[in-house]
Amino acid sequence: MSTSTPKPQPEIRAAPRTWKSRGRLLGMPISVLAIWAALYIAASAVPALPVPGMAGMITINAIMTAISGMVLGPGAAIANAAGGIIAMILYPYGFSAGPLGFLTVTMGGLVAGLLFANKWVLAGILEILIIGSWFVNPQSWQTGMWLVPLPYSLIALLVIFIKPLRDWVRTSILTLHKVWLWPAVFLMCCVGHAGEFMMTNTMVNWMFNLSWQYWVPTLPYWIMVDTVIIVVSTFVGVGVLIGLRKARLPQYADWLEK
Amino acid sequence: MIGISSGARRTPLNGLDGRTKLIALLTIFILALVFSSPYYILGLLALVLTTWAIARLPWKLIKDILKFFLIIAVIILVVQIFFYPGETNLFRLSGPIGFIGFSGYITLEGIMFGIAMVLRLVVIMIVAPLLVLTTPLPEFMLALVKLKVPYRFAFIMTTALSLLPSIQSHSAIIQQAQLCRGITDFETGRLLTKLRTTAGLLVPLILGTFRDSQTLDVAMSSRAFGAPVKRTFLLESHFCPTDYIILILAILFLLGGVALRVLGYGTL
Repeated sequence: MSTSTPKPQPEIRAAPRTWKSRGRLLGMPISVLAIWAALYIAASAVPALPVPGMAGMITINAIMTAISGMVLGPGAAIANAAGGIIAMILYPYGFSAGPLGFLTVTMGGLVAGLLFANKWVLAGILEILIIGSWFVNPQSWQTGMWLVPLPYSLIALLVIFIKPLRDWVRTSILTLHKVWLWPAVFLMCCVGHAGEFMMTNTMVNWMFNLSWQYWVPTLPYWIMVDTVIIVVSTFVGVGVLIGLRKARLPQYADWLEK
Repeated sequence: MIGISSGARRTPLNGLDGRTKLIALLTIFILALVFSSPYYILGLLALVLTTWAIARLPWKLIKDILKFFLIIAVIILVVQIFFYPGETNLFRLSGPIGFIGFSGYITLEGIMFGIAMVLRLVVIMIVAPLLVLTTPLPEFMLALVKLKVPYRFAFIMTTALSLLPSIQSHSAIIQQAQLCRGITDFETGRLLTKLRTTAGLLVPLILGTFRDSQTLDVAMSSRAFGAPVKRTFLLESHFCPTDYIILILAILFLLGGVALRVLGYGTL
């Protein structure tokens, strides 16, 4: 019985295991992004504030958008977009910009997520683009229209561009500082929410050509609504960040630490 | 709440490819934004309503959707009627009120523009459900993937939707637990109290579902999610002749609409 020499087999090499091949997107596991998107849809079903003068309702998903950047990093944009598209279809009363309404929550998550990932230049460019797109509309050059983006967008710009403030906010959140965590989360929620509401305002203004006679008188009301959302988001955000750390559940801060 | 199509009802719209419907939806959406003449937008609305009838969708749904947008519709109408800078004065209400920018006259252009904006709102709000209610979710996702939307994104959407019932049941359990502790402000409390109790609902809900994500992660890894292989799909979609006809019509409508707008039609 003779034995033949076996043919040399091509060497089989496993594909390199990158973060991408392990089912991650922008540093976060896809499973977590999917869970967040599902949470986002569920939150969109809960009307929080009836909004006189604006389409439908402000729903609890505004809170989810505000805190998403801190929890998911830039991946928040993907999770919010996925959740936003479905939520817009299932619960359309929370989206005043119609089929493109998901862009608003995407931008909110993206700006806050990039800032939290310390990609502040990108976050700053996006925030400026969002604010700039408001002023591209000729309607926005009318009396007092410059006031509309001012309150929380200004805070967002300060947090993004002033290095000591930015570093302090990020460090306080990453270390879960006992005292400074609260104001830091508040400021981060301002960034997330500012991205969302300015994008919404800009889109609504382009679509329905609303003049200063609508925007300026209702501004105090909008500031009140935004403040309530950001304060509640701060409470939720602090609870979630501490809870995730204590339970050793995945969050973007782990990825940053790695 | 609007449900996603189960695909049980067979109408001509259900037979179309998801991509065709997505492109048609985008066309109508863009045209609604391109035109600012009420006549042209009325034409679009007629098209959408005809499609709604062909799809045999319940008319009550339109009413349900629009009731959420009634207030903004009234406000848009009023703002445009009073403040749109028109030239054809219809009647005088008062003298000019400078500090609110009111000329004192109601103009024809103001009324027409107000009506156009309200019609635009209606078209924009009812066109998306038209797509979704006639497209079963798997087909919708397949259409997204075929339109080169990254598979991972489509996967997140599909998974999110399938997890939704479980999250809603989680939420109900947490609410029951809070009720047992004497917190009853979910439904009846004042606004601020309701928002405060929302925090008590959201934090455990987010933490609980994040814990579940670990299981999902293991399941995905064990099935080699993200392995560099060519994906195949259980469902396959192909264009049929009707799809081609609708696609060609949609492109013609879009190009025609943009051309009309460039030539100065479709605007006030």
